[in-house]
Amino acid sequence: MNWPQLLITVATIGSIFGVVTLALNLQYARGGMINFGIVAYFAVGAYTYAIFTQPSPKGLDQYAFGLDWPWWAGVLAAGTAALAFAALTGWPTLRLRGEYLALTTFAFAEVFHSFLLNERRIGNGTVGLSNVERPFGDWGPIEEKYVFAAVAALLLLATLLAFRQLLASPYGRALDAIRDDEVAAESSGKPAANMRRQVFLISAVPVGLAGAVYAMFTTLAQPSLFTAEVTFIVWIALVLGGERSVYGAMLGAFGLVFFEEVVRAWPFETVRSAQIAASVEHIFTGLLFIAVLRFQPFDRIQRRMKART
Amino acid sequence: MLRTRAKWLRIAAAMLALAVVAAACGNDDDGDGVVAPVEDAAPEATAEAPAPEPADEPAAEAPAPEPADEPAERGEVTIGVLVPLTGELGEFGKIVADAIEFGVGEINAAGGTVCGNIRTVVADTGGDPETGIREATNMIESEGAIAILGPTSGIMVALVDLAKREQVVIMSPYAGTITLNELGGDFVYRTVSSDLGDGAASGLWLSTRGYGSVAFMVQNEESTISPAEVARTEVEEAGIDITDFVVYNPGQPSYQAELTSVLASNPDAIFLAGGQESGVTLIKEAVAGGFDGEWLFTADLAVPEIFDAVGAELINDKAFVEFADADPSLPEFISFEERYSGAGAPFAPNSFDMVTLVALSLEASGQCDGAGINSVIRDVSDGGTAVSTFSEGRDALADGDDINYEGASGPLVFDPSGTVSGAYTIQQAQNGEWVNVEFYPASTFVE
Repeated sequence: MNWPQLLITVATIGSIFGVVTLALNLQYARGGMINFGIVAYFAVGAYTYAIFTQPSPKGLDQYAFGLDWPWWAGVLAAGTAALAFAALTGWPTLRLRGEYLALTTFAFAEVFHSFLLNERRIGNGTVGLSNVERPFGDWGPIEEKYVFAAVAALLLLATLLAFRQLLASPYGRALDAIRDDEVAAESSGKPAANMRRQVFLISAVPVGLAGAVYAMFTTLAQPSLFTAEVTFIVWIALVLGGERSVYGAMLGAFGLVFFEEVVRAWPFETVRSAQIAASVEHIFTGLLFIAVLRFQPFDRIQRRMKART
Repeated sequence: MLRTRAKWLRIAAAMLALAVVAAACGNDDDGDGVVAPVEDAAPEATAEAPAPEPADEPAAEAPAPEPADEPAERGEVTIGVLVPLTGELGEFGKIVADAIEFGVGEINAAGGTVCGNIRTVVADTGGDPETGIREATNMIESEGAIAILGPTSGIMVALVDLAKREQVVIMSPYAGTITLNELGGDFVYRTVSSDLGDGAASGLWLSTRGYGSVAFMVQNEESTISPAEVARTEVEEAGIDITDFVVYNPGQPSYQAELTSVLASNPDAIFLAGGQESGVTLIKEAVAGGFDGEWLFTADLAVPEIFDAVGAELINDKAFVEFADADPSLPEFISFEERYSGAGAPFAPNSFDMVTLVALSLEASGQCDGAGINSVIRDVSDGGTAVSTFSEGRDALADGDDINYEGASGPLVFDPSGTVSGAYTIQQAQNGEWVNVEFYPASTFVE
């Protein structure tokens, strides 16, 4: 097994999904919102980046326009589009709570997925946008995969820092107060609905940016990449890591991606062995989830660290 | 508390940075290490083994080389087999991977290539492009694959950028997508014709079967829409009434809504361009809804499992299936059939041809990498002494001949998009199995 390659893939993919998990952590653990449609904001970022950087359609392409702008414009647009999409979807959905909010956000994501599948003029339908621009190809002696890993890690760190600052501020404490007792918080002058909406909007921006990095890394923006499975994976990462802590959320994402990549990195030299591996991969993943949920190692690490302080 | 958090943050940042740096430091082992055995192997082979040059002094003096003993010293050359072993196309992925494995076995038994024995690394894509890209990257970066064989349409399209960037040849035996008509040609090849040919063959069958009306049920995928569009044009030109052209999304528990208008029109036949999961449900629901006409399916349903899944009694004598196929009268195919029991399965000859072409290209270029294969693959399959196996080709090349690999799936001449022209078979469901009823050679569609 090629460990350096494995590490670099885990650092890249883990950081990208880590950003989404952190956003979900902010929404759920601190804002009290169950978002089962987080994949939609991720997809908005990826598609926006692809559309902004893709050249104009030619030949058999079915999308109506590609702006062919530089990559940084695509990244900025991805963050902005995710924010705008959050504003659009947050307005009607955030009036709801608990499982109703979960169902509505899930429905929004499914509608958006269906839109991407069927509206070929925007994202080229089921084919999607392939060979999306990778901007870090010619960075001198450093191979682009390392640049990608560094960019994804930087995005994760920036998100972590921003969220940490936010939550450590009086604003964060007000959020905690709203989550713990909304009536009491409102009676002491905290605008609960507004603050919840703000958290929803703020957390969508890094998710959109992560979508852009994901599109660059995979060079793809296809509907099949943005199914409900992504939402569930992020939720699983959050649960694995312990949803009350930003570090736990991050560790959960890395742990999940690491396990997936270890299974994939194993070279199978015969068809039979690859077939068996494909069949048992999900069983092993399931068993691992059960074990982690039973023993909660990441949560324990967190508690031990807290106890020490 | 805040200080502890800051400490945590620093530790996390340091860990991430370490991971990146560690990986960057490992770069030399990673990148070169992967290629080295292959590159090192070639000179060794030429230095110590007279094998590549016995042609200069034929048979009389030079004892027949015993290549079977040498490859161990020449190292190995790795080829990635990237197929769907699970999911809707799992049946096809297995057929393709098995045929490649058979081809590799033949090549290695014949003494391997100038770059050494071929080693395969097999991975399942599950039909998912993102998995495909990650597995392909892994094959190239970690395993040193110089060619990746077997991706399906969506994954081929997704891999185009990677193939050109990493200078690795990707080749598919069944990716008919018309998107590759524009993207293919350089590092991107396929030993099957494009979906336009499938559409033309389906259209020809529907037009000549004597139907008065036909309905189209088309899964919302590029690989099914593009042949259906071509078939529609053919059917329209033949003056046949198209009652419906329904594009449906797969993965639904029921397709009653889509079938309502189709069944109301009661067409003579339904052209179903769909996957196995959606196809099975659709066929059952259509028959339950009173449809008594004939069917034409696309290649996805050309597997024997369909009879168990649907129920053979529902489709016996009424269903036909169209797919790109080898010409069974070709001596190359007959020979392949004699050697390999699975030769009759869809795309098996095309898969065998892929790996043989790659091996012959390594032999012809003497360069053990993707760029070497890419530089000669067209020459190897066009013009020169006709050969149909790896050992024949290798011997001809050793004699200094230009070779023309005539594949088990047909003559493999790549057009500018890296696509070959193909022949098509129509099979009919009879007594729970698919039976050939019509064959359209490639010449049928040449204008």
